[in-house]
Amino acid sequence: MTLRLHPFTALTAAACTAVITTAAASWPLSVAVGLASAVLAVRRGVAGRVLSAAAVILVPLFLSLLVLHGLFFPEGHTVLAAWGPARVTAEGLRFALELGTRTAACVLVFLLFSFTVSVPDLVSALSARRIPPQFGFVLASTLTLLPAVAGRLERIRQAQETRGMVIRGGLWSRAGALRLQMIPLVLALMDDAGSRAQALEARGFGSPGPRTSYRDVADPPAQRLFRAAAFVLAAAAVAARLVVSWPAGGPS
Amino acid sequence: MSQPALTVTDPGQAAGRGRRLLEIAGAASIAATYVFLVLTQPADIANGPASFSALVALGGFLLGAVLLIVAVLPVLPTSTLVLIPVALVLNVVLGQLMGSTGLPFYIDAIGTVLIGVLAGPAAGAATGALSSIVWSFFNPTVLPFAAGAALIGFLAGMAARIGLFRRFYLAPVAGFITGILAGVVSAPIAAFVFGGTSGLGTGAIVSAFRAMGDTLLAAITKQALISDPMDKGIVFTIAALLAYALPRRTTFQFPFVRRFRVLAGKAPSAPDA
Repeated sequence: MTLRLHPFTALTAAACTAVITTAAASWPLSVAVGLASAVLAVRRGVAGRVLSAAAVILVPLFLSLLVLHGLFFPEGHTVLAAWGPARVTAEGLRFALELGTRTAACVLVFLLFSFTVSVPDLVSALSARRIPPQFGFVLASTLTLLPAVAGRLERIRQAQETRGMVIRGGLWSRAGALRLQMIPLVLALMDDAGSRAQALEARGFGSPGPRTSYRDVADPPAQRLFRAAAFVLAAAAVAARLVVSWPAGGPS
Repeated sequence: MSQPALTVTDPGQAAGRGRRLLEIAGAASIAATYVFLVLTQPADIANGPASFSALVALGGFLLGAVLLIVAVLPVLPTSTLVLIPVALVLNVVLGQLMGSTGLPFYIDAIGTVLIGVLAGPAAGAATGALSSIVWSFFNPTVLPFAAGAALIGFLAGMAARIGLFRRFYLAPVAGFITGILAGVVSAPIAAFVFGGTSGLGTGAIVSAFRAMGDTLLAAITKQALISDPMDKGIVFTIAALLAYALPRRTTFQFPFVRRFRVLAGKAPSAPDA
């Protein structure tokens, strides 16, 4: 894609798509949204990461929904098969399909956003708005810390195994091995955080006032217009859903 | 909802009534959403997926979480703020580590509870909510649970404040109570947004209650009452172990720990015998 999206445009598009899909509650639309996200992921070259991350999340959820609603759905009337207390009903399978596809569509849309967005762009766009700069710091710091910590945990494990730690055996020896890895990790991270706090404080991180940024993220008027339109569309979808299925009895 | 202020205001600091109002609005939004969902839950979910309830649950809970973040985040001191990413990473990494040992619990709030204990209820709530938002970059299904995660951090801070972490055997009790509340608050999200739980083990428990004829929300709430208190009891115990394993020099640098005497033992400035 040659078009460079402002991070907020991508975020708005993802969020509004998810909201509209949830409000519409029709499985053909959910499937279409999911497929469109997958196609976009292929075109942006992140299909492998998006689809594997989505599979890790969705496969257990699908299985759980299938067992839960496929076999036990007391509200169902059209019984397709029955073994003792378990009854396969058409309504239950339909419910599992609706909710499964809806969740899948939302997960794919958001993963597409998070795997294509440039985190530095997102952070500088956040700090250019009136969003507390602390939020951008927490977001960027966590996303960069995660891979570093995974590497550090691996080194701690190797070091402790050199000293004779074995991850094997009963519950207690496993818990002991866990303790041997956890405490050095937490200790090191807290210590790092303390020195990072001093460094940030020395550079005026805690002081109030506006921030300037080296990065300037272009925000063309067309994308602003698109964001506004997407907001209106999502709000309309939510309003329509609220009006259509407002509980008849209301809160008693 | 009558609640004490989430922020520990230093004497003389003009914290501003606006932030206090935002905190109360956030908590009220979460509480009102829960009450509304329980009162108006669809009697017959066979008519279609609970799209209405899903939208209300998402909107109300996320609004509450965002209000809490906006109220708390700008007033946190830098020393606490730099710990939030550490807590988020610990939530993720220690959760995976627990998974690798084959212990039958999924434990994903250790960092949040640790921050709640060391830096107070406000920081705990903000950490919980932020943890869900940042973690949703890899797993979007945790985003709707932001309100429940904020509640866990808040309650951990309150437990620390009234001294439940001074006696070691009281920490699991506090975790148990937190688990009950957090499980009940999170149940409508699992029921209306996802239509079930993502684990096969928890799904089996929900199936058992459904087979007895419960509504989906009732079945998931009962399942949460079985698994969450146990889970949070373990999380609080691990957080207490970690808090005591850290050197005094580190833990006593937090004003919250010093002011409310969260941990047993003397401050390191006192001469050790």
